[in-house]
Amino acid sequence: MKALKGPALRIVAFCLALLVCVLLTGNYLMPHSNRYLEGYTAGGILGEDFDTIDVLVLGDSNAAQGIAPMKWYQDWGITGYTYGAAWFSVFNAYYRLKDIYSEQTPRVVVLCTDIVYSKRGSETYFDSAVNNISGELFPLLRYHDNWKELNAENLLQPHDYSWRDPNKGFMPLTGVAGYGGGDYMYDQGRQAIPLLTELYLDRIVRLCEDKGSQLLLITVPAATSWNHSRHNGIQAYADARGLTYIDYNLDPAGMLGLDWATDTPDSGSHLNVLGAIKLTDVLGEYLTQNYDLPDHRGKAGFEHWDDDARTWTDTMDKAIPNAMQAAGLTQ
Amino acid sequence: MSYTSFGYLFLFLPLVWVLWAVLPRRGRPAVLLAASLLFYWISSGRYLIWMLAAAAVTWLTGLLLGRLDTLSATTRPELSPAGRKTFKKQLTGAKRLAVGGGAAVLLGVFLWLKYWPFAARSIAALLDRMPGALSLTVPSYVLPLGISFVTLMAVGYLVDVYRGSCRPAAHYWQVLSFLCFWPHVVEGPFDRWDSLSGPLLDPPRPSYKNLTFGVQRVVWGLFKKMVIADRANMYVKAVFDDYTQYSGLAVVVGTLLYTLQLYAEFSGCMDIVLGSAECFGIPLAENFRQPFFSRTVGEFWRRWHITLGAWLREYLFQPLILSGPWKSLGKFCRTRLGAAAGRSLPVWAALGVTWVAIGWWHGAGWLYLVYGLYYFFWQLLGEIFEPIFTARIPRLAELRSRRWYRLFQVLRTCLLVLGGMLIFRANGTKAAIAMFRSLTVPYAGSLLIQLDARDLAVLAVGAVLLLAVDLLHEKGIAIRQRLAAAPLVLRWAVYIAGVLAILIFGAYGDNYDPAGFIYAQF
Repeated sequence: MKALKGPALRIVAFCLALLVCVLLTGNYLMPHSNRYLEGYTAGGILGEDFDTIDVLVLGDSNAAQGIAPMKWYQDWGITGYTYGAAWFSVFNAYYRLKDIYSEQTPRVVVLCTDIVYSKRGSETYFDSAVNNISGELFPLLRYHDNWKELNAENLLQPHDYSWRDPNKGFMPLTGVAGYGGGDYMYDQGRQAIPLLTELYLDRIVRLCEDKGSQLLLITVPAATSWNHSRHNGIQAYADARGLTYIDYNLDPAGMLGLDWATDTPDSGSHLNVLGAIKLTDVLGEYLTQNYDLPDHRGKAGFEHWDDDARTWTDTMDKAIPNAMQAAGLTQ
Repeated sequence: MSYTSFGYLFLFLPLVWVLWAVLPRRGRPAVLLAASLLFYWISSGRYLIWMLAAAAVTWLTGLLLGRLDTLSATTRPELSPAGRKTFKKQLTGAKRLAVGGGAAVLLGVFLWLKYWPFAARSIAALLDRMPGALSLTVPSYVLPLGISFVTLMAVGYLVDVYRGSCRPAAHYWQVLSFLCFWPHVVEGPFDRWDSLSGPLLDPPRPSYKNLTFGVQRVVWGLFKKMVIADRANMYVKAVFDDYTQYSGLAVVVGTLLYTLQLYAEFSGCMDIVLGSAECFGIPLAENFRQPFFSRTVGEFWRRWHITLGAWLREYLFQPLILSGPWKSLGKFCRTRLGAAAGRSLPVWAALGVTWVAIGWWHGAGWLYLVYGLYYFFWQLLGEIFEPIFTARIPRLAELRSRRWYRLFQVLRTCLLVLGGMLIFRANGTKAAIAMFRSLTVPYAGSLLIQLDARDLAVLAVGAVLLLAVDLLHEKGIAIRQRLAAAPLVLRWAVYIAGVLAILIFGAYGDNYDPAGFIYAQF
């Protein structure tokens, strides 16, 4: 035993030294601006003033391209942010939510459930989980390729995470490529939630409870990546934990009126700006009717939001006609 | 489970090592077997049944051979001398039948799964061209993980027991431990029972030196795989998969990078698996010995995938040479073509069969046959012209001792190997021919294909590092021993820099498309 003590101490000391180097290097290689912290413009949430976001949407590309929080602000004065990135996972969502809570205290957290079953084709769910969790614990694994961005000017430049996104995480797509695959919500089976994913979903539920946020589960319409057996899997999870779940693929209130011929840019994988506005509208209605969300328009401390609303209007004034033209809805 | 996955490196390997180290000596082989079965099950699922069955066939055949050996050793005094001779002859026949039967079952499953779809595809294509309504359905099978490696190791074990060069395993779990040992089950090396069974079944005590040396080797393997091979893969994939778009220098660079990729990846994988086994004090067979310092194609193959060459030499080439038909061929050639031809032709014929086996071992397809014959052609050319050149150029022996001439030989071999690599990576025989032809067509586009200048710089630095390490090994310098003798601060700085280099410059994550281990498909 005595003989083992020396080598064991040396191994522990080496691992600690390595850990420190890995963490320091990871921190150094993080993007200089929060604009590039995450895919799309999710990182812009770090530029928002503290405790100004009332509705936080977490999800992947379906969320980023399908939910436009500035429309809520324009219509009801609700301050929201869509934190969506490609290949976003439940594991990413948990750690990111923890980070966001250090700056924001959203009243409602909307979790888009596409991320529950999301994984790259070649990975197993286990590999995907391990890769995602390790990427969260060690930023170096996520940002390692940023060494390519280093140059003589920015080598010692400090990080500046004050960039704000006037679209609040929304990425409007104006292309149109219709989906003609017919009904995709027919399977009566139930796809089980992978074990580690469920563990982290539970952690998200507890985190929201601890921070006093109400958690709402929704599924953004996606004809090619969603189905009824996944719906059943999420519904069972929501029922077991007493959570509210709305699957907009089923359009439960009959208010969405999505047209798969015109409202998707990529044959049913995502929503374009036409589909996004419809989804944002019905989700906004639901939020205003079911949660106590104040109207911040014109209030002190929200001047930025009024400025951003004008930028948002300009953006939409161009994006919507473009999409309508692509869809053949205008001359 | 990939050897480069976080699951393997940070969960599987450390947990198995700790469990192995804390258990008493008698329990350690069980930990290794359980870990191997778990690894195989995670990687291959229900195909574990094939592994269990293959081990059962191997074990039972080995036992039968051992029993026949014991019978053969008995003197049987009740029999007359002639009777004893007949008895021994019968036993030898029974042993041949047993080893042949066992090998036939193992090889039969392997050949059926791996080669029958190819054979059926070829026959079906032939039938399509012939008049008549004959047709053949081409099957498609999923190969159990490591079937090529496990089958050949099992057959090697049976032949060794048959020859009496090793004793058969007494228990089923011992053969299973040997065949499905996780470090060699995916890409080899082809280990032999007599060298592996000792440390595997009676492992040494946990050792700090074995652990640290093993981890160092794993890290070096990860560097080769993740920094060099996976990065080169992006360029290679673009050029070879879309070869009609590229020519001239782009194809040359693509072939060079594929050679670098394959070497870094395969030898890197060997470093990971040999390092993994070294942590447990188990020495696996080396598969590489600085192949790009070879002066001939033959030497290259004695330094590249060493254990495959050794297996084929021992269990195919030598038995062929010593077989009755080959002796008859020698006799025939000697009487008809003279003594020299009688000596050479049977050897060349056996060499041809071995090269065809090497080619087809790499894959079931005509391209792989061309690949094997390509090397056979160059080796045969060398065999034929060697005596002619030696006789015609008296200074040749002196020239060969000169450094520049040796360098010329090395470069010449590298050039020939590059040609082989182009064939090996091409998407079919037609593509290979088209790519060879395109070498003469100038390429006007950018050479930054899928990789930017910084990526290429990393590849260049990685290649130089690889070359430097190979050069030191070639000079007999044991780098890890030297490093171990260095002061602690320097040692740790090197180790930490190595790990950070992999984590920073590794081609993983969203911007890359890392390839699976190429040899795992074989």
